[in-house]
Amino acid sequence: MTRSLPALLVIAAALIAVPLLVTNEFYLNLASQILIYALLAVSLNLLVGYGGLVSLGHASFLGLTAYAATLFFGWGAGQLGAALGAVAFSTLCGALFGVLALRASGIGFLMITLALGQIVWGIAYRANTLTDGDNGLRYPARPHPFGLDISSAPQFYWFTLAVLVVALFVIWRLTRSPFGAALQGARDQPRRMRMLGHNVWLIQWLAFVLAAFWGSIAGLLYIYYNLFISPHAISLQQSAEVLLMAILGGASTFTGPIVGAVIITLVKNVVSSYVDRWNSLLGAIFVIVILFMPYGIVPGVRQLWSRARGQGKLPERAA
Amino acid sequence: MTAPTTTPALAVAGLNKRFGGLPAARDVSLSVMPGERRLIIGPNGAGKTTLFNLITGDLTPDAGSVKLFGRELVKLPTQQRVHLGLARTYQILTLFPKETLCHNVVLALLGLDPVRWNIWTLLSGKRHLHDAAREALARVGLSASADRTVAETSYGERRRLEMAMALAQQPKLLLLDEPLAGLSQEERQQVRELLAKVPRDVTIVMIEHDMDSALAFAERITLLHYGEVIVEGTRAEVVADPRTREVYLGE
Repeated sequence: MTRSLPALLVIAAALIAVPLLVTNEFYLNLASQILIYALLAVSLNLLVGYGGLVSLGHASFLGLTAYAATLFFGWGAGQLGAALGAVAFSTLCGALFGVLALRASGIGFLMITLALGQIVWGIAYRANTLTDGDNGLRYPARPHPFGLDISSAPQFYWFTLAVLVVALFVIWRLTRSPFGAALQGARDQPRRMRMLGHNVWLIQWLAFVLAAFWGSIAGLLYIYYNLFISPHAISLQQSAEVLLMAILGGASTFTGPIVGAVIITLVKNVVSSYVDRWNSLLGAIFVIVILFMPYGIVPGVRQLWSRARGQGKLPERAA
Repeated sequence: MTAPTTTPALAVAGLNKRFGGLPAARDVSLSVMPGERRLIIGPNGAGKTTLFNLITGDLTPDAGSVKLFGRELVKLPTQQRVHLGLARTYQILTLFPKETLCHNVVLALLGLDPVRWNIWTLLSGKRHLHDAAREALARVGLSASADRTVAETSYGERRRLEMAMALAQQPKLLLLDEPLAGLSQEERQQVRELLAKVPRDVTIVMIEHDMDSALAFAERITLLHYGEVIVEGTRAEVVADPRTREVYLGE
């Protein structure tokens, strides 16, 4: 990433310029949505790609934050209080979920995260007095962070982009940090890691909490964007879609989940207005990609690229 | 137990472990003095690796005690035992195949370094870890391969990497599980020389089948058979003991 600084600057400039080029509000809002889901997918990938822990309940952190922020604001916490309280609450739930889910590994871990996600969904759906069930809750208005007005589509896009850039940088540092190395080591050889003095459980639990934290930040952006939260946003399908983003783009890479978020959000929102069976189309895309690029799009394209330059090398795991 | 003046580096007492009906450790007691080189021998299935797994905490004993310099280990999780100065190599290689040799040793060093919890600093900037890793690799003669991935190295090099990872942690007690297995004559010689160079503040307990190398290395020998200590003594005593021949030749 450091070596490709010029490319990074070009991408950054292009992303900043999007609201100037895309004047259609529908597409600009779509771009904001992509950014939010990119953050959610990257945060999940801390677990899936770097930790080897496949979770099917990650959308619950988006939902917990969105519901908590709405409720806290309704109870008079103010914009800042609601935001901080909601993220803290959701991350704490993540800490608890982590303790429960890490009782198991592999399929067991996946099933517990799925069950926890369903419990959160069930509470949102059933606790009518608190969440108004299927009707969902309305968030009154976007805040003015640091006095900035983010009510219009371009302003909100830039705000979301700024949050995403900071989040991605911090998460990217984590993947290259000593902790990131230990997390990947615990994924590949947990028993050996213990014998080297590493506390594998604590490493994985911390990764779970950090993934929940960044998922909560995505949840905060989500509620500011939609100003509305309903159980639909935290259904199993949503959790599965986020997982699909990470796997489709390439869970073994840092950028893969972002690519996955772009493709899936586009198919869901744009293609669905032309094709009724957009879910089937998504399925077909997934099957085709996995058939030709079993490690996902980003590692697959990298492999094609290096093959085109005459040096076929196997894709590596997250590094 | 045996020497009241010094605390043994490793004191195992009354250790029992059964796998279903099969006893893998039966009242195993042994005591290894600081700086000692101890060899554990015994036919296949004698419970040698099980004994190591009980010492490291990979397995929990049904009964008995394991003390490292007088400190009871049985209730501690593996990683805490490592922090008290325990290190081991594995008979079946458990390395990080897609990482470089240097990174493998760095992971070993990180295990004992509080910086392992840092989520912000870049690992590549941690000079002290990389320097120490390269030094550990140099000690086992792997300087030239430091930047190759494990997958690109030979079996002999991996065995030496195992050793480098264990030695890099500067353990007080080092458990070596068949460090010579599967090596060529030349490689055996390298590992033997390497072991001879390990300073005496490291106590070594080794499981080995290659009797020629192992006997030259060990000061005391423990013979295990069906999870039981059959003979224990100096090199000469154990070799001369008729029970040794019975176990090995009676098969």
